[in-house]
Amino acid sequence: MKLTEAWHLSRIPYREVVYRSLAEEKGRMWWGAFGRSQFDKEGRSDFELTKRVLRIAKFDKLVVALFCVISSAMPFTSLFSGSRAIGLAISISLSLSVTFGFTALYAIQTLSSFVSAESSALLFTLPLSKDDFSKITLFSFIRSVDYMVVGAIVSQVILVAYLTVSPFATLLMFVASIMNAVFAVTVALWFSRFFYRNLTRGGRSKSGTFLRLVFILMWGSLLLGVGLLLSIPWYIVPHLEAALLSFNQLSSLFFFIVYPFSAGIAIANLVYPNAAFSAVLIASVAMIGYVMLAGVAGKWSLETVKHVSQGAGIKRSRVANQDFSIRTHSPIFGYVMKDLKISSRNPATAFFFALPVLETLIVSLLTTNYQMLRVSTVLVATTTGGIFALLMPLALLNAEGTGLEYTKTLPVNSNRIMTSKTLISTATYVPVPLTMLAMSFMKQMTSPLAILIPFLTILAIASASIFEIKLFLGSAADGKIAAVARDAEKMVAGVITALIPLIAYTASYFISFDHVTAILAMGGAAVIELAVALHVLKHS
Amino acid sequence: MPLIETSGLSKQFGSVQALADLNLQIMPREIYGLLGPNGAGKTTSIKIITGLVEPTSGWVKVAGFDPVKNPIEAKSRIGYVAENPILYESLSPRDFLEFVASMRKIDQNTANQRVTQLADAFDMAQYFDSPIATLSMGMKQKVALIASFVHQPPILLLDEPLNGLDAKSSRIAKDLVSLHAQRGGAVLFSTHIMEVAEHICTRIGIIHQGKVIAEGTLDQLRSKTGGKSETLEEVLLKLTNEETQVADATRMLGEAIFK
Repeated sequence: MKLTEAWHLSRIPYREVVYRSLAEEKGRMWWGAFGRSQFDKEGRSDFELTKRVLRIAKFDKLVVALFCVISSAMPFTSLFSGSRAIGLAISISLSLSVTFGFTALYAIQTLSSFVSAESSALLFTLPLSKDDFSKITLFSFIRSVDYMVVGAIVSQVILVAYLTVSPFATLLMFVASIMNAVFAVTVALWFSRFFYRNLTRGGRSKSGTFLRLVFILMWGSLLLGVGLLLSIPWYIVPHLEAALLSFNQLSSLFFFIVYPFSAGIAIANLVYPNAAFSAVLIASVAMIGYVMLAGVAGKWSLETVKHVSQGAGIKRSRVANQDFSIRTHSPIFGYVMKDLKISSRNPATAFFFALPVLETLIVSLLTTNYQMLRVSTVLVATTTGGIFALLMPLALLNAEGTGLEYTKTLPVNSNRIMTSKTLISTATYVPVPLTMLAMSFMKQMTSPLAILIPFLTILAIASASIFEIKLFLGSAADGKIAAVARDAEKMVAGVITALIPLIAYTASYFISFDHVTAILAMGGAAVIELAVALHVLKHS
Repeated sequence: MPLIETSGLSKQFGSVQALADLNLQIMPREIYGLLGPNGAGKTTSIKIITGLVEPTSGWVKVAGFDPVKNPIEAKSRIGYVAENPILYESLSPRDFLEFVASMRKIDQNTANQRVTQLADAFDMAQYFDSPIATLSMGMKQKVALIASFVHQPPILLLDEPLNGLDAKSSRIAKDLVSLHAQRGGAVLFSTHIMEVAEHICTRIGIIHQGKVIAEGTLDQLRSKTGGKSETLEEVLLKLTNEETQVADATRMLGEAIFK
């Protein structure tokens, strides 16, 4: 079979993965959800639904690829600060880091469906040779991440070519970019496979739950890493520069060995050969090692893709269990438990459970650099943490998926669904005020009343969650339950709700210059919001 | 008093009339078989009675409650098995049944006792802690059946409940349905397996193009077609005017494929 023919045929298993992942609401990153308000109405016709799902997938891929290109280009701004050689090394390293994290994160979302869907099972029944089958499967896998990987490689290579005018540096950048994509996809594939294996193993073992928790935290760390690299390069760049300039120190040796800094240093030295020979040698040897490692990783990925697409490689153990006892709970607690279980077992939503950890780290990072805890810092940290928590209702509704159709046959009203998800979402925000409280013991505050800000925001987060979920459920009421949580525009309503009390605080402070008045205004706004939200909840 | 009652029930999906003027009365101790070709409106009827789909016109009463106006009251009295069981795939049967029992406010001991008996009868031992996603269709169907019986509802709405079940489980399910009716419950049973309907249904409704075209016991249906010893399949094909289509299709396919 010709490669072009295999590429063309690979659309079938790829479409299957896309369709399943969207139709079952296995999710995408939140920015992929914009513009789907009519999803439920068009979904009435299966033919229309299929076409729409594929259109959405293409749109998602384009948006994510664009975002990836911008993210890979952004670190090159550090080229214009300090030494040109160090700047180039840092730019390339950070660009590769960001692209790695971003590609891995996105690929995890897509590949979780690839790993679980047995996407090529149908092709396996056709009279195709093993070789042809492998080609088709591989191409369908590549289609999942093609736009963003190609976008990142092209942008990095063009930028290096333009900035260095060196064919060798450009070639090396090309190799490093491909290697980076291979590493990212391999990590994503490993994560997805690990998660799915752990899930399909079943059983009630505590080790399984623990492994899932580890997975969630690792995933969260990856997200945090990308977030930090994107949001505060001005914080990272000076540290990197200082470390790279002091070669004698252990930290700089670390950078020469560890990918992707070794790649950045090796490429930069081709253009500006002024680093010590030993440093260049270490970085170059490390690069050769990484190229070999990328080869191994690529081979492993190919083999894994072949296996999983045929539905092989996932071991399912069946343990005979005569204990059929179940534990019943109150309906609210029962719903909360169900929500926690389904969302923590879905790779596309599980990482949201790392949000409390991320919030704690982000709030700590935002505040540790200041000697005094100012009200403005408290406001910024509270807003950041709050916005993170408001992603939770979306995740919880996504995780419901088609199972919500069964819930609709149970004596459960939307009030209970909203309460359960509000409780979980609000709980994920709680680390923010607690971290701020801990910080308040360590630092002086411009006003001790400021510590009430994150605590009063708990009320606003609860209200915001209720409004978000109400809007989401409203969009599903038309009948296409599977499309329940696909409208991130509604998150804006939640963010505005969460911000109103903070705006009330700021506005009243600027009018009165009195923290007591400002806190009272904030508390008043939060209480009114909660009263309205509870009214909405009661009448749902 | 009928446990399931519908009057003038209709449902329009865009330009498609899925259901037209459905009038049903299912009494306690009755197993009502809803039969018809694919796309006739069986699943739509059941989904409307369950409260999953709102009717375009007409009304439904489930144990005296309207599933649209009093959904909680109505759904508390229903046990439902869908044509393709849509369950929470990442949950295990144990997790899923814990959730269902909690939502239905069944006390711990009662829930434990019923689940244990049902799971044991349906041979769930090896599958009780495996994610539902990894189970076969038959196993998923068993989970849905256990969930529909766990609260001992007066009304069972069963849409192809025997899909994928092995012989033993299928027999247990049929016996459970019969016992349920004997104890005063009402069952609306949709199936394509004519022998099953013939064997367990006390009354049969033939639905075609959204309309009930005939209703009654098997003998009453036979009298409408004029054949005294006809099977239910023959009766159905005659009533839906598909008998000649079947003969034509078989002849044509025989010539095209096996010549």
